[in-house]
Amino acid sequence: MTGIQLQNYLMVGALLFALGLIGFLSRRNMILMFLSVETMLQGVAINLLAFSRYWGNLGGQSLVLFMLTVAACEAALALALILMLYRSRQMLDVSIWQDMRENDVDATIDEGPPPTAPKEEPLPRLTPAGPEPVRRTQERSHV
Amino acid sequence: MTSRMLQELQARIGQDLTGFLPELILSGAIVLLLLLRFVPGLERRHLGWAALLAAGGMLYTSILQWQNLAESASISLFSGLLVLDTFAIYIKLFLAVFALLVVALTMMTGIPDGDDSGDFYVLLLGATLGMSVMASANHLLMIFLGIEMASIPSYAMAGFLKGRRQSGEAALKYVVYGGGAAGVMLYGISLLAGKFGTGYLPDVLSFVAANPTDPVILMGMVFLLVGIGFKLAAFPFHFWCPDVFEGAAAEVGAFLSVASKGAALAILGRIALGLADVPSLMIPVLAVFATITLTFGNLAAYAQTNLKRLLAYSTIAHAGFMMMALATLRPEGAGAVLFYLAVYLVMNLGAFAVVAFLRNQTNSEDLRDLRGLVSRAPILVACLGVFLLSLLGIPPLGGFAAKFQIFASLFESAQAYWNAGQTNYGNILFGLLLVGGLNTVLSLFYYVRVLKVMVLEKPLEEVEGRESKPLAVPGWQNAYVIVLSVVIVAMGLFWNQLSQASSSRGIGTFQPRVAQAPPAQGAGN
Repeated sequence: MTGIQLQNYLMVGALLFALGLIGFLSRRNMILMFLSVETMLQGVAINLLAFSRYWGNLGGQSLVLFMLTVAACEAALALALILMLYRSRQMLDVSIWQDMRENDVDATIDEGPPPTAPKEEPLPRLTPAGPEPVRRTQERSHV
Repeated sequence: MTSRMLQELQARIGQDLTGFLPELILSGAIVLLLLLRFVPGLERRHLGWAALLAAGGMLYTSILQWQNLAESASISLFSGLLVLDTFAIYIKLFLAVFALLVVALTMMTGIPDGDDSGDFYVLLLGATLGMSVMASANHLLMIFLGIEMASIPSYAMAGFLKGRRQSGEAALKYVVYGGGAAGVMLYGISLLAGKFGTGYLPDVLSFVAANPTDPVILMGMVFLLVGIGFKLAAFPFHFWCPDVFEGAAAEVGAFLSVASKGAALAILGRIALGLADVPSLMIPVLAVFATITLTFGNLAAYAQTNLKRLLAYSTIAHAGFMMMALATLRPEGAGAVLFYLAVYLVMNLGAFAVVAFLRNQTNSEDLRDLRGLVSRAPILVACLGVFLLSLLGIPPLGGFAAKFQIFASLFESAQAYWNAGQTNYGNILFGLLLVGGLNTVLSLFYYVRVLKVMVLEKPLEEVEGRESKPLAVPGWQNAYVIVLSVVIVAMGLFWNQLSQASSSRGIGTFQPRVAQAPPAQGAGN
């Protein structure tokens, strides 16, 4: 522990938390939003573990265990929900979900169309590898 | 040696589990509800009765605890993770009564049908379990766990109407907001627990009180309050509330608006009263946010035409009302909140129940479709009138008694601060009293507008020249709202017993210890 002090761990934790928060506030893709939340939680975990080591007790570590469990539950529920929403509109953008809002607030509409994914090259078809083998009549009857 | 330790451990675990009995009953019922689906013949049956039994069991055990616990006792369970005092038991009683009433409501409206009922009641009881953990949390870990155990089932319940797109949107907004708030709150918890090396709430609060201006501690407290403010739907963390309530079923809205607010207020009350020694920090913060929450909720409710959205803003305003009483940082304020919660349970549940019944009959929750409803469903509209006027605070209804308690606690505390020479805080609380009075007048218009539309305007069918038929409201549903409105009236007329429970017994644990005569008090019960 000579080179690396408590502060260094806390800096990493704070940075991860801040990056997660920025991502959470700026992203529109639902999956990336939840990944950002997970990043925030990992920042918290580093914080807690560093403090746990600093104080020499296990309180922080047990908190991290509970935190990971809860985060897993939340992620499971959120991903199931995202899947359900994706099925109904085929898009992961959160901003299409704005049917409910105040009466006097207009819907937020992008200026241009959303960027579409680049079209993927179709996979090359394999050439047929020779003629179909002749099967024995007994075998054919079973198929 | 080891056997003696083992015996001690067993005795302690026995005591812990006895104190945890209401929650254990809920946990058992959750597992049972999941397993009941495997019993032949029960695969598609409505399982509401099992949930009713579970809530009843929780209520019964909580009543036993309420009767047996001394007024000023505070038993720590599970080596201090949870605390069992009359304050926590009051909130648990509140949650149990509420769960019972909500399950009865869902059985009448049929929102989870037979197929889904098992899942729905598992979620509902799970959220109730989380909330009762919140009510007795005495450790930062349990605060976090309780809030998350209450939130995660709530997300699923908000999206329970799978066929409706709005329901999915509501769940999405709730999950996104809740996930962010949970992350921020956890960071605050990590700062506080790390700074002090412990998460035990009384220790943490006394350390905070000793050094309230340290930037790390301040940041930790602010982040922690973000998480609580989210559960409470307090300004500026209220944005999810109207959308979630509009998209979710009215029954779910009733559950979220009453139960999760009650549990969040329990945590906020514990924190506020634990920090009573540093009024310079807590009184201004709570007063400012209570004022904004209250005024914002009332102003935003004006333009609403969707009944659930209107009620959502009304619940935000009521959260502000209850925060005002907590801003006193005194036991009287907490007692007034406990009283308010009991009345708020009945009147808010009643209002949401009427909305649910009307939705079943007319397929609409929009105020414009419910014009002239009084001729078509007179009993429902009359009871809705009782609930709305009680939410407004008209005497002799329960809402008036509740508001009166809040105002009285504010006035008493202001006087106490004045007498103690802390004029600033007295003035702030007196200002809150005025804000509360003004807001009661503000809220008059939107509550009365709903009644005006339903009573004075002509039915839509008559305007369009068709014949307007009376709604075929089942007798059970009429009976349900009639019972609730009778309770509301009774609470407004005879509130001595309830205020005895809330303002004296319920806050026994917060009374200053010095004032107690050692053997005389608390020994009787």
